Amino acid sequence: MAAADAARSDVAGLEGALAAVADALRRVTVHVRSRGGQGSGAGVIWSRGGLLVTTAHVATGGAPEVVMHDGRSLRSRLTARDPRRDLALLSLPRDDLVPALRIDARGLRAGELLVAVGHPLGVAHAAALGVVHRAPSGEPGPDGWLQADIRLAPGNSGGPLADAEGRVVGLNAMIVGGLGFAVPTHVIERFLEEVAGGRGGGGARAA
Amino acid sequence: MPAASGGPLAALSNDLAAAVETVGRSVVAIHARRRIPASGIVWQPGLVVAAHHTIQRDEEIGVTLHDGSTVPATLAGRDPSTDLAVLRLPPEISATAAPPASFATEAPRVGQLALVLGRPGPAITAGLGIVSAVGGEWRTWQGGTIDHFVRLDVAVHDGFSGGPLVDAGGKVVGVNTSGLARAAALTVPAATVARVAGQLAASGHIARGWLGIATQPVRLPATLRRGLGLESEAGLVVVNVEPESPADRGGVLIGDIVVAVADRAVSDPADVLAALGGERIGQPIVLRVARGGKDERVTVTVGERPRGRR
Repeated sequence: MAAADAARSDVAGLEGALAAVADALRRVTVHVRSRGGQGSGAGVIWSRGGLLVTTAHVATGGAPEVVMHDGRSLRSRLTARDPRRDLALLSLPRDDLVPALRIDARGLRAGELLVAVGHPLGVAHAAALGVVHRAPSGEPGPDGWLQADIRLAPGNSGGPLADAEGRVVGLNAMIVGGLGFAVPTHVIERFLEEVAGGRGGGGARAA
Repeated sequence: MPAASGGPLAALSNDLAAAVETVGRSVVAIHARRRIPASGIVWQPGLVVAAHHTIQRDEEIGVTLHDGSTVPATLAGRDPSTDLAVLRLPPEISATAAPPASFATEAPRVGQLALVLGRPGPAITAGLGIVSAVGGEWRTWQGGTIDHFVRLDVAVHDGFSGGPLVDAGGKVVGVNTSGLARAAALTVPAATVARVAGQLAASGHIARGWLGIATQPVRLPATLRRGLGLESEAGLVVVNVEPESPADRGGVLIGDIVVAVADRAVSDPADVLAALGGERIGQPIVLRVARGGKDERVTVTVGERPRGRR
């Protein structure tokens, strides 16, 4: 009986931890709609001061509408966009946002659990569980993506992919042969540094 | 900052990553086809087990080890019936460069976590799902015997075939393949791998029993069935007997109708093949035949099927 009790509490513990990770991720995930219905997907709150990151193919232009986790709808400004890295930076006139926890994706190991949150096929703030299929190499090129064995769908684009402790490791960008491809966090940080430094090099352009 | 307490989830994640890291050192990439390489597992020192259907050439085979180095390998043997092949690494490859994996001794259970590894290039890849079905011994369409039917609920990506199914403790449960049942994700269990790979490494092929007859199914007339007291409606008429074959020496004649082999009714040539496992070689086997309307017993000493003959 002791063994059965132990097994039950393990599952409860796992479920509780997974629920906590999913809940934390949902709070930092927004819905992004670009004007004219060109792009729609998710985004991640990156700073207390109103910066949000998403993918370039979700933030196609204009002043994208951002719907927060609590349902508030806000008009954002498209601050920078880099189609080559498939990244975009949005800003909101706020200084009270709670940003996502992050960690460098280059430390990931194949087999680690991953949780994604997004709006797959229009289902708002839906969570998915998977594993690291192939860790990013840290080099530019096709091996630079974080590849995940996880079931994603259109609407996950721009949304967070996080490790077992809820720390964002990348932004979901595309689905290739059933695998999720995400832009790893170190590429996002480099993009943000370039934008902050006012450098157009590397493809980041003020928009 | 939203504090997400990862506790048990982080522990499971670490266990999975640790299992990938440990077993991943024994997972290699095999370059024996066009485009994307397939996977293989170091089974014993210097020996790699792979999926037969991914080895599309017999020569100029390269193997990429976990450290990223690629070395030449030779094909020790292949068994299409179980979709397994064995490659031999050069003798100078150490057990550090290619450490043998640790295999599980028990069959998997339905519902257990299924961690599948591959190396479709220099980097290790992982996928997670569950074992969806486990059954008893089964026979593949090419006549191979697999000790347990093991089906997975996992996504099949590049490098799946020839890669290991790993349990949460880091033991290899079997070799994955999409080549045995219409691209379904199956695992050839460790017991079958040990048996088949052992024979392939030792002799380069899987020994199968051989009689030296060609047969085709025939309906048995009601009068013959009544006369001989047969229940089966069909038998196998012998249409050829190879000269000097075990059947020839045992006295099987063209025109004999084989109705049973080793006390089991036969109505399809595959039934005869099924009775001729490697363990029968050298042993006498009794064929019950209808010859000229009479019930006869013919004893044949099973030979070994010559290489390259079906």
